[in-house]
Amino acid sequence: MEKKLLRLTVNGEYHELYIKPKKLLVEVLRDELGLTGTKRACDTASCGACTVLLNRVAVKSCSILAMQTDGAEVITVEGLANGAKLSPLQRAFLDYGAYQCGFCTAGMLMTATGLLNENPTPTKEEIKEGIQGNICRCTGYNSIIRAIKAVAEGKYKEEE
Amino acid sequence: MKKYSVINSPVHNIDGIAKVTGRATYAFDVKLPSMLYGKILRSPYPHAKILNIDTSKAERLNGVKAVVTGKDTLGIKQGIWRRFKELCDEEILSRSKVRYIGEPVAAVAAVDEDLAEEALDLIEVEYEPLAAVFDPVEAIKEGAPQLHENAERNINVTRHIEWGDVEEGFKEADYIREDWFRCSSQHHVCMETHNAVASYTPDRKLTVWTSTQSHYYIQVLLAWTLGLRENDIRVISRYTGGGFGSKFELDSAQFCASLLSMKLFRPVKIVLTREEEFIATKRRTPMFYYLRTGVKKDGTFLAKEGRVFTEGGAYTSMGATALYLTGFFQAFPYVWPNYRYDGYRVYTNTEPSSAMRGFGAPQATFAAETQIDLIANDLGIDPIEIRRKNAMYAGYEVPGQAWIQSCGLRECLDKVEEWIKSRGKLPLNRGIGIAAYGFMSGGIFNWFDTPYAFSSAMVKVNIDGKVDLYIGSQDMGQGSNTTMAMICAEELGIRLEDIRLHMGDTDICPVDLGAWGSRETLMQGNAVKMASAEAKQQILEFAAAKLAPNIVYDLDIKDRWAHLIARPERGISYYDVVIEAIRGRDGQPIIGRGHYTPHRKGMISPAYSFGVQAVEADIDPDTGKISLINCVTAHDCGQVINPLAVEGQLEGAIAMAAGYGFTEDLPMDEGKILNPNLVDYKVLRAREMPETKVIEVETYEPEGPFGAKEAGEGLTNPTAGALSNAIFHAAGVSIKNLPITPEKVLNALREKDDKKEQ
Amino acid sequence: MSYKCPVCGKIWPDTMNLARHIFGTGDQAHKDWVNSKGLNFVELLLLQTMEPGNKGYKILAELLEKDAEKVE
Repeated sequence: MEKKLLRLTVNGEYHELYIKPKKLLVEVLRDELGLTGTKRACDTASCGACTVLLNRVAVKSCSILAMQTDGAEVITVEGLANGAKLSPLQRAFLDYGAYQCGFCTAGMLMTATGLLNENPTPTKEEIKEGIQGNICRCTGYNSIIRAIKAVAEGKYKEEE
Repeated sequence: MKKYSVINSPVHNIDGIAKVTGRATYAFDVKLPSMLYGKILRSPYPHAKILNIDTSKAERLNGVKAVVTGKDTLGIKQGIWRRFKELCDEEILSRSKVRYIGEPVAAVAAVDEDLAEEALDLIEVEYEPLAAVFDPVEAIKEGAPQLHENAERNINVTRHIEWGDVEEGFKEADYIREDWFRCSSQHHVCMETHNAVASYTPDRKLTVWTSTQSHYYIQVLLAWTLGLRENDIRVISRYTGGGFGSKFELDSAQFCASLLSMKLFRPVKIVLTREEEFIATKRRTPMFYYLRTGVKKDGTFLAKEGRVFTEGGAYTSMGATALYLTGFFQAFPYVWPNYRYDGYRVYTNTEPSSAMRGFGAPQATFAAETQIDLIANDLGIDPIEIRRKNAMYAGYEVPGQAWIQSCGLRECLDKVEEWIKSRGKLPLNRGIGIAAYGFMSGGIFNWFDTPYAFSSAMVKVNIDGKVDLYIGSQDMGQGSNTTMAMICAEELGIRLEDIRLHMGDTDICPVDLGAWGSRETLMQGNAVKMASAEAKQQILEFAAAKLAPNIVYDLDIKDRWAHLIARPERGISYYDVVIEAIRGRDGQPIIGRGHYTPHRKGMISPAYSFGVQAVEADIDPDTGKISLINCVTAHDCGQVINPLAVEGQLEGAIAMAAGYGFTEDLPMDEGKILNPNLVDYKVLRAREMPETKVIEVETYEPEGPFGAKEAGEGLTNPTAGALSNAIFHAAGVSIKNLPITPEKVLNALREKDDKKEQ
Repeated sequence: MSYKCPVCGKIWPDTMNLARHIFGTGDQAHKDWVNSKGLNFVELLLLQTMEPGNKGYKILAELLEKDAEKVE
């Protein structure tokens, strides 16, 4: 199978990669670029652990062929912080203990980031709806919902 | 009330930054130079002889480096109940027979995953299918297919617990009830599937990165099955993406990756797919329960007789423990003057059933608590009142089994009663149900046959006051890393940021048996406290020399200040005294060692947590659909160490236990699991969660560090029972068959209406 | 008065506890001993669950009262 050229900006950095056309976006991110923060936990696009932002919208990177993202901008969990300055959501997650084993956390943060991009002041119901596609087996979700709500209520400003 | 500087305050989890920035490297993420990818071929038959395996075509595929089968192993039947040879019955890569669909038969290592997968199709296995049996009651019949040579009638293990005389008890009883329950299976659904990267190097040392709850167990089991020296194996598990009981036994990924790497002297990575995770790991033990209970007409409990058959699946695994614990917790948390339990674990040609959060207690609590509400209803007694009348209390001895030293059960009942009253009159089709529970804080029985202390720890104080804390415990999300650091900081009198934690590596860490049976807080916690106290003592020697107080004064360190307890203003900075202490000891860092093994603590555990949970749920009478509204839990875990973690464990437990109650199931057809994916297997998601509230009831447990007991597994016990009771109170139907699906609710409602009409 | 297990020598305070130990250990040696005494290990176990009254254990306990070594 002939490899094709993929031009992709990930976390603000431009990459040119030769990849097999059947490769999924999540495989390119994890295996070609070594960005293992994004996880995989199912084969049926059901769990959300692989969520990333594609042109600012949260998508399951296991359900997209990498070639479909040619020319696009992707943000993964590694792109949320700026050096030691964590994003408001990351800080809220720390304060509220909104993670336990941490395996779903990257996907959860990206889904939440995408949600707040679209709707900066969601209600609790809208938050629940927003993360309905992300499975967490550890936390029971309520701490995650509290963390996202706190950010939505403006309790966490972007750090200077 | 003692005041604590570190424990019982909300703190950031010490792995927090790594986890929220994507920097935490799980075994799932490990990639090594020259690494190969492995895949496992699994049996399509529930019961078959392996006549021949031809791997030649697979080996010839370009890019395939090795294929292994049972012939390449030492043929060791391993198991985790090492103390009893007969229970070590599982060969990974069986040489003669397969006993469940999904059992590993061969493994391949290739340059990429796709090639490895392709190679599997080229392996030719000649099977002779045998008659199979799937139901324990069928499996014990004469003439049923026998799975294991030494297990007549497929009886794997039996357990019997007895005190008093139940026949006498029943004679005295005013009222006797018999009920049958069916407790389903359940899958752990860890977000990180089982996996391993095994690397065998030319110096004949094996390193295995894996997702596990006990690196020590994996090290020992690999040594045994591979014929290696225990300490020539290094198991690394810095982060584990969920365990819940599924990851402290040797699994096919770990064994096959190691075997392949030993053949090739290259790293081999095997990651189970979600489907393999469902069909070929382990699962919650399904149980068939019979309970006969006798009480006085005022609700006083007199006698209970339980008989349980469990569907063991193909191998013993940890099933023997679940069998005992279900019988023990069946009598919890009440005073039963007369009790008898007989449990039978029966081999069947299905995926082995083993340990899952609660370990037999959720099944026991579901059956017991559902029956108690039925009895209370029959006798016209309030559900809280009947529990209060019979509740365990501090100082009670479960005859021949356990001493209950701390017990906040009555207060838990009071708190939940208060909450229920505050709800007032409920709308139509809504009910509140309760369930009381207790759970162990680590087990006393050495079924693994370890010669080591059950838990050990080491503390090293460096010149700048930074402390290295070495522990053997495994954090799989329950927060033990943070809890141990907090215990160390509290005891040593320093802050969390002064601690550098070392865990998850058998090369470096002292032995701890692992994160299961709710043992870490009590057992590893006690070891950490002892090590910290020993280090502190050495530092205080120098502080005392420096401060030269009157002999009546004793010293302590709090918040980096070494001082006279009675006169805290007289002291010296921790940093200064550490420098003196190291200088005074030939320039050696201060080292403290700690360990813990329960001695003479009864048959089960040194300490028990208690609680009461209330579930408020709606039923839709037209569809049978259940919605969870509220879940309030009053929990006694002794002294809370890590409050954010306790709350997190509670909410997580509710999601998992509610799933057990009404959404999760593993339906099988002739031993084949029908829903091995996350679309058809329904775990709770965000919208299905109720509002949750945790009420901490504080007691002091003398066996635990700072008085602490478990929190996390006990919390999984009550929800299924509380839910069935909520439905009983909402709609007048009692469903004794898990999971409580809409179909079952509708059928029960129809039956009830039919009876009314008659 | 205590009772010694005829197979492995462990001491128990009464015959019911000794019976529980024999059934619970369930290894070949313990099974063989019970079967050599004219009883059937598996049948006794199943009797325990098929009929009320602790029958399986009682029968084994009676045998042990006669056949097990008593220790002070």
